[in-house]
Amino acid sequence: MSKETAGGSEVMSSARLSQFQDEVTKLKLKGGGANPERTGTAWGVGLGIVGAIIVVVSWLSAKGASTGTQLTAEIAALIGVLVGLVGVALWVRNSLTRYLRYWLIRLIYEDREQTERLIAAIEKLAEK
Amino acid sequence: MSGRAITELDPVDPLDPTPVLELSDIRAGYGRIDVLHGVNLKLMPAQVYALLGPNGAGKSTTLAVASGQIQPTAGTFSLFGRTVNGVATDALARAGVCVVPEGRGIFPNLSVLENLRMATFTGTSMADVQDRSFARFPRLAERRKQTAGTLSGGEQQMLAMARALATDPAVLLIDELSMGLAPIVVEELYQHVANIARDGLAIVIIEQFAHEILGVADVAGIMLHGRIQRVGSPAKIAEELVSAYLGADGHETP
Repeated sequence: MSKETAGGSEVMSSARLSQFQDEVTKLKLKGGGANPERTGTAWGVGLGIVGAIIVVVSWLSAKGASTGTQLTAEIAALIGVLVGLVGVALWVRNSLTRYLRYWLIRLIYEDREQTERLIAAIEKLAEK
Repeated sequence: MSGRAITELDPVDPLDPTPVLELSDIRAGYGRIDVLHGVNLKLMPAQVYALLGPNGAGKSTTLAVASGQIQPTAGTFSLFGRTVNGVATDALARAGVCVVPEGRGIFPNLSVLENLRMATFTGTSMADVQDRSFARFPRLAERRKQTAGTLSGGEQQMLAMARALATDPAVLLIDELSMGLAPIVVEELYQHVANIARDGLAIVIIEQFAHEILGVADVAGIMLHGRIQRVGSPAKIAEELVSAYLGADGHETP
């Protein structure tokens, strides 16, 4: 399969198909997740809650405990804070992506509708 | 409706090489509403597949699945035999699956050149994009600085196609090219599709009522109620089209 284009200079050949096949082989798949942002947001919320629980449990276990236990509780609390921060970061990142995607689509549609209204108005004026 | 509703009128290719794009028993929809109830579609290299059907049949949703915009809830979406369910839309676009969306998918407030610049995301230089676009659609060269929204409907579709072709796609998915256009403009656009097809691209084009596309297509399918009910040669499908639309095809409806 190798045919000339309308322009005559370009050729769509089996080479392009082979290249396409190579690129398909290299495609990274996400396992069919229908909504990765929703999954990311859920993970963010989950990690945030887990982090907070770790901090509270560490706080309670450190109360009236020996210095050694308090040190362990402090380390655990620090891990809790880190887990919580990762959760918040995941939540912010995925929520923003969802919101911005929605905003962009809305903007494009509104823009298109407005232009069509404008063209219709100009056409109406031209008819008069 | 039970079982597989597809009826093969003509075998497309007895040797059956690996399809460029294949949808097998695809189910998909929006939220909890299922629109596709087991779609089967095979697109062979250098083939033009016309998917016809009335409004609400699921044609655009099929195209959305084939371009990775909607993930199927069941079934397999494969390219060259590799299952790619869950692939990112931008990764598919970079690989060479390109969509010309319904309703003149252009940026109306940008100029023709600015719209074409959007096609450089794949790494193609602007000079190449312009060369390819203007060689195929000389009228766009005359209007390169014009705001895209003020072009005629046919020219806007040409711009949408030019932008798609400038990315050097391997698979082109065209959604309702004829929408809102005069028959003479539609005829001209289909001439362009025929030229593109001669270049060897695999094309899926969906339409509601377009006999013109049957002259360009190698194979056609009729879609009803979220399934491709008939697949065959354009000539046979043209005969079936009216009866299918009017429900006289003998198929049970939901």
